[in-house]
Amino acid sequence: MSQQVDVQAEQTEQTIRESLNQALYEELERDDSVILYGEDVAEYGGLYKISEGLYEEFGDDRVFDTPLAETTLGGSAVGAALAGARPIVEIMYADFLPIAGDHLINYAAKMYFNYGDETSVPMVVRSMYGTGDGHGLHHGQSPEAWFMNVPGLKIVMPSTPKDYKGLLKSAIRDDDPVLFLENKMRYGESGPVPEEEYTIPLCETDIKRRGDDATVVAIGGMVYEALEAAERLSDRGVECEVVDPRTVTPLDTDPILESVEKTNILVTAQEAPTFGGFGSEVAAQVIDDAFFYLDAPVKRVGAPFTPIPFAESLEEAYVPTAEDIETAVIDAIET
Amino acid sequence: MGNASINHRELLEDLLLTRRFEEKVLEVYQDRGIRELPHSSIGQEAVGVGACYPLEDDDILVPSLRTRAVMLLRAPLDEIVAGMYGTRSGPSNGRTTEHHMGSSEYGILGTTGMIGAHLNPAAGAALGNKVLDNDRVTVAFFGDGASQRSEFHSALNFATVQELPVIFVIENNHWTEASPIEKLVAVDDLADLANHGLPTKVIDGQDVEEVVDATATAAQRARDGDGPTLLEAKTYRYRPHAETMPEHRDEATLEEWRDRDPIELYRSRLLEEDFVTEDEIEEIDRRLQTRIDEAFEAAETDELPDEETMYHVYKDTEIDHWKGVVR
Ligand SMILES: Cc1ncc(C[n+]2csc(CCOP(=O)(O)OP(=O)(O)O)c2C)c(N)n1
Ligand SMILES: [Mg+2]
Repeated sequence: MSQQVDVQAEQTEQTIRESLNQALYEELERDDSVILYGEDVAEYGGLYKISEGLYEEFGDDRVFDTPLAETTLGGSAVGAALAGARPIVEIMYADFLPIAGDHLINYAAKMYFNYGDETSVPMVVRSMYGTGDGHGLHHGQSPEAWFMNVPGLKIVMPSTPKDYKGLLKSAIRDDDPVLFLENKMRYGESGPVPEEEYTIPLCETDIKRRGDDATVVAIGGMVYEALEAAERLSDRGVECEVVDPRTVTPLDTDPILESVEKTNILVTAQEAPTFGGFGSEVAAQVIDDAFFYLDAPVKRVGAPFTPIPFAESLEEAYVPTAEDIETAVIDAIET
Repeated sequence: MGNASINHRELLEDLLLTRRFEEKVLEVYQDRGIRELPHSSIGQEAVGVGACYPLEDDDILVPSLRTRAVMLLRAPLDEIVAGMYGTRSGPSNGRTTEHHMGSSEYGILGTTGMIGAHLNPAAGAALGNKVLDNDRVTVAFFGDGASQRSEFHSALNFATVQELPVIFVIENNHWTEASPIEKLVAVDDLADLANHGLPTKVIDGQDVEEVVDATATAAQRARDGDGPTLLEAKTYRYRPHAETMPEHRDEATLEEWRDRDPIELYRSRLLEEDFVTEDEIEEIDRRLQTRIDEAFEAAETDELPDEETMYHVYKDTEIDHWKGVVR
């Protein structure tokens, strides 16, 4: 299904916003059964302008606006997928996912199990998370831990423009239901994107930076913070390996274990509250399978166990940053 | 007569199949138990039977857990009963209960244990079929209880504004589990809850041909691209909500409904109008009974599934199901 990207291939500099828009364009063009719908995704082009121009190109049979009803977005996507279409729905903010939660948890995730004839639910729910824009309690939460414990769902949280595009294309072609989480604070982030068509397989952990001294497993927007922390630590003679699982569930743990076996130090980084989170699961997997390689206790970087606060000073204190990762790595090494 | 041309004997046979099957379920359940707790459809058979009758084989049905007729008219008897027993010949080899089974082959959309959660997926299936540009109609069945949920409104609104080829059929049996509908809803006709701009019709759910006609008209409208219809079929169940629950409803009301039994009404009409003879009905009954008995015997001697059967979670990714990670 996926082609490995040729390192020599021509690349252009693109933002995440552009690479996502292109992924949607290419998949809508490639497959007539792909449809894109959600609140204000058509004429307006999506609240964050990810689907700009697609309605004009493909018409309102393929790209359309829906009523303000997340239960309809979640539920109708399940039905359309079961009937043989490949729906992509945009749920404006990930904070709204619990409204569609019944359809994701009890419907989408369970139909492949429930059917006896290999029918599955090839749907993609795109949704936005990301803290730091003063949107407060209900417009920026990182929802991965809410859904991580649901067998049957796939959760994808890319970091770079290239990954966003390649993974979204794979998510659309995947036969299982995918929750595709986009960090709204990073849409403007730019990076090299191959010019020729490519996909990146789901469920494949990527190494974003090589290093022998500490493993930092970061997810979504935190990959950038981890890379920044790694640069600073490098100035101090500490080389971090930055590991980006890209898919949260099902998690590809082998590259994580291999990295820890080499560095003997594990730090995890996520935007969500640390307790009960993605980092906790990574830590548990490493403890299960690579415990004796660890030289120090695992450090988990994440948010405190509070809602996302509104005031600027509080939000700043809340969001995990490169400094937090840097401190965690130093703490682990010095233990 | 409306749109549908009806083979009366065939329709009676569908009714008898459903009634005899449900009777057998009760008999076996009371005698020796069945793993799937029966939520009997006795008394309501004409709704499912009548609505399925005018449809095409590839139309998509989305039953409630009480619409047994849908399963019986679409899936093989052996599979249905094995599904109730959770044995390996069931539709998902025992992974799921027959109540919620889904099958692309039989045109049955899978459902969940959440009452009313299937209404938006039903609209979605209609959307999918519209996108795929085929002629299929989707028909969703649900109780008065489901019509109290917000899913009902969001699905009807979406289906109407998108002009989707779907029919919503409320099986109003006047009870939501242990509560009478008048305590839960302030209108007499549930169809009045749906002021969403789609046609609605209240029909007699005990009169199978009335259900056939109303569904045929709605299906034609859907196929013509004119959008959804809501039908409210008034009916009643003879049994408690589930077989583990006591009966606490008024006996006189139950008796009134039994006087308008959907199978008996149709049977006597067909006899009166000489469409069938007593002998022919007896012959049909005997034939159905043999098929049903055989299906139960097969399920009772069928084996339970192996553990491997449940490791069936992702279609496109191999995982270690105990670790929950990629293999
Ligand atoms: C969302 C949800 N709420 C409650 C229940 C528990 N429950 C199961 S069936 C039922 C009554 C359903 O009544 P109705 O929709 O009228 O269908 P009927 O049983 O009468 O066929 C209830 C309350 C459930 N399964 N799902
Ligand atoms: Mg009811």
